[in-house]
Formats: sequence, structure tokens, C-alpha cells
Amino acid sequence: MNTLSNTPVLRVEGLNVNYGAFHAVRDVSFEVQPGEIFGLLGPNGAGKTSTLSAVEGLIRPFTGAIHVAGYDIRHQPLYARACMGVQLQATSFQPELTLVEILRLYGGLYGVNLTDSQLNTILRDIKLEDHAGKRYGQLSGGQQQRVSLVIATIHDPRLVLMDEPTTGLDPQSRRQLWERIETMRDKGHGILLTTHSMEEAEAVCDRIAIIDHGQIITIDSPQAIIDDNRNRPEVIRASRKGKITLEDVFIGLTGADVRA
Amino acid sequence: MSSTTSSPAFSIAPTLLPPPRTLPPTSAVYAALLRADLTTQWRNRRASLMVILLPAIILVSWKGLIERVGGPFVLANCITIGLNAIGLMGYSNSIARDREKEIFQRLRVAPAPNWTIMASRLTVQLIMIAILTIVIFVVGYQYDHISLNISGYVAGFLMAIVGGAVYLALGQMIVGRLKNPETVNATSRLVYIAFIMIGMFGELGMLGDFIDKAVKYSPYGTVKSIVSGALTPGAWTAQTTIALLVTLGYTAVFAFLGIRWFKWSNK
Repeated sequence: MNTLSNTPVLRVEGLNVNYGAFHAVRDVSFEVQPGEIFGLLGPNGAGKTSTLSAVEGLIRPFTGAIHVAGYDIRHQPLYARACMGVQLQATSFQPELTLVEILRLYGGLYGVNLTDSQLNTILRDIKLEDHAGKRYGQLSGGQQQRVSLVIATIHDPRLVLMDEPTTGLDPQSRRQLWERIETMRDKGHGILLTTHSMEEAEAVCDRIAIIDHGQIITIDSPQAIIDDNRNRPEVIRASRKGKITLEDVFIGLTGADVRA
Repeated sequence: MSSTTSSPAFSIAPTLLPPPRTLPPTSAVYAALLRADLTTQWRNRRASLMVILLPAIILVSWKGLIERVGGPFVLANCITIGLNAIGLMGYSNSIARDREKEIFQRLRVAPAPNWTIMASRLTVQLIMIAILTIVIFVVGYQYDHISLNISGYVAGFLMAIVGGAVYLALGQMIVGRLKNPETVNATSRLVYIAFIMIGMFGELGMLGDFIDKAVKYSPYGTVKSIVSGALTPGAWTAQTTIALLVTLGYTAVFAFLGIRWFKWSNK
């Protein structure tokens, strides 16, 4: 894609996002490397989706810089978007279009001309070859999620963004999705995801940032975060099973109160 | 974009890199969007049919009026009613629905310029306007025996597109101002019915002089006037030219406000 092969697939520097007087994201900085799964964890309203939206170019930050595969999201938005694949929280495709039509639409938007045989391969890969002519609105939640993921990677992007990808999936679909995400990592894609599942984040993410009240409060590998915080009284208080988990650390650091 | 405060955005100077090879040409992006939007419109063809059916029914039922008010007047009224329905009911509701489902946000994270997303939607509506106008011409000719010369048909077709732009811009303003798709639906229906009822009866002089004058300079009256004037080019007067200028003015104001207020997401 560009000449800087060792460039992080995503670099966020000093990001601040305001909604009127509300400061949603405060001085957030992090990087995602090629072949890395990076988890952005936080309670509801912590600033995860705002951070992701700024990376996607859907909202304009107050200050800060975002580079996707080296491309500035503000000054070269189309080039930056061409290097990223996105799975949004909502399954947001036209319900009247069939699977094949949606694949062709997004192939066209990303400059990927799909032949019939390539389409069949994609559909076979996500086990939806029998649903090629089915409208998107008629698919189950798990099937829609698979379509969404395959479209996020249809152009072989260097960065894949996923906003709570496992929400609403049954255990089988969730397992299958994580396997796909790990396969993408093995192929060298950088992956930035948000999730509420601490167990899954602990098992799958290479690095994690815990964000609360718009600020990153810790950033490291899951095990390092657990090790660094296991002796904190609030983490010990949060632990229920004796063994300290990422969830205990998360609750210890962000508090046990339910967020609106 | 508008949900955050503006400058100073991005403190670090960008390092511009050569464009990636995968960036598709804008024409290909537009073609992909248009194909999808036309397919969606086709799948919703029953709703589209209703938009065309109502003015066609009015055209048939007004057969007895033709001798009194003239064929071009009846055709212009029916076309205006159809244009109203396309802009207010079809366009605004489809935009509100897709915005609610975050379909626009999904498209916007692809390397598609924002304007291509809206240009594709508007192209579909222009095609609808063209179909509506042709259907009205054909039904008028076949059933009501309204025959115009070729310049009348061509000019009428062009003015239908100019007039259609007013209602598309008005629909854009409604969907820009209101977020909830149900509120958009209710409001656009209300405006549609108000235009049709007050416009039709007011212009026939049934609601008094004041309403008659108000209707003349309303988006309904000016559009009807320019379409009617275009259908009989010999009868184009200074008053029709004023109506055309007012129509263009309405379009500019509604479009400006509609674009200014519009948000791509309901969140």
C-alpha cells in the first residue's frame, strides 16, 4: 500500500473528542501493529465508540492525529478508509439487497471486482453458499455478523475495526468469529476491537487498553495488566473466585457501579 | 461531523503518502451505489407504484374537467401531485429509514465520497420523476385524449424535473430537521396533504381569494404554474417566469437548510 512497511497500521496521538461541552475522549494515544489484536475495553459511555468513530472518520476530533497505515484520516480520508475494514456495532446493510448484491456493492466501493467464482468462494467460506439470493434482512443475527465481517475484509485491509463484534451471538457463532479474527491476525491484519467480554479479551487480545471517563487508564498485554494490578486492594475486593482475572482488574480499576 | 466542536482540529501536520492502488475511481463508486439504490427501489416497487398511481387516478377522474380548465392544467396538476409524493413521501422517508439503520454510516466508512452517496439517491428520484411524467403524459394521451406538440412535452418534462427538485429539497429539509423516521413520515404526509388539498381546492377558487393568491406563490402553485406553462410554450408569460424564479428560490433555500441541518446518523 505505501512505502513505510514497518508503519503501525493505526496510530492515534493525543485524541480529544468533544460533544458540545461534554469531553468524551481525553488525550487518548495508542498504536496498533500489523498482526496484532488490540482490545479497547471500558464501561458503557467510557469513550470506546467515540474513539472508534474518530478513527473511522465519522466524527471530527477536537484535537489529535490519527494515521491509518500512514494515511492521515483527516487529510487523506479516502486513502485511510481504503486501508481499513469496519464492522460497525449495528448490522447496517440494506435489508432489501441479497447477499450477492451487498458483496458486489462493497466490492465496488473498495475497488474489488468479484467474479462469480470468487463470490462463491467467499460465500462457501462463511457457510452461506445456499443463501446467496437471500435478502440481508432475512438472515439470522449470526449470519448477518458473518456477512459483516467478510465485507470488512473484502479488500484485504491492513486495519480491521470491530465494535463489539460478538454481541448477540450464540456460543458457536462467537467461537467461530474469534477463530476468524485470529486467522486475520495470523495473516498480518492489525485488529482494533471493543468488547464487553473480558474472558474473550483476555484469551484473544495481544494488548488491551482500558478506557474510562474518556481516558486510557492502563495499556499492556492482558497478563501484564493482571500482574501489575493484582495486589491493588480494589482489585482484590472485586475478585470473587480467588484467582485474579482481567474482569477483576477491570472492575477494580473502573468501579463496580453500573453505568447508564 | 457536526456533533463535535470545530477547530483546532489535528495538531500534527500530515505526512502525505502516495495513494494506495486500491482506491477505486469515483465513477465506479457511484456506479456501485446507483446499482444498489436502483435495486432497492425496484424491491420497493409497490410503494413506488402508489406514488404514480394517485396522480394517474386523479388524471382519469378529472376527464370531465378537461374541457373547462384545459388539458395542460390537468396534466400539470397531476404531475405536481406526483412530484410532491416523490419528494416528500418517497425520498424523505427512505433517507430517514436508512439513517436510522446506520446504512449511511456503513457506506461512509468505505472510501466513498459523501456526495456520491447522496448523488446516487437523488439520481434514483430523478428517474422516478421521469417515469411519473411519462406515465402522466401517456395516460393523458390514451385515456383523456390530451395531445400536446413535441416542444410542449419536452419543455414539460424539463420543468417537471425543475419542479421535482423543490420537493426533493423540501424532503431533504424535513429529514434534516427531524431525526425520528416516524416523525419524518408523519410530517411529510401532513405537508403532502396540505399542499394537495389547499393547492387543488385553493387554485380552483373554492377557498377564497387570499388562499388563491397564497397557493399561487406556494411551492405547489409555482411548480404547477411552470409545468403548465411549459406544456403550452406559447402561453408562457411573465407570470410564469416569476413562478420559475420563485421555484428556483425555494429549491435553493430548502436545499441549503436541508444540507446544513442534515446529520448522517441519529446518534
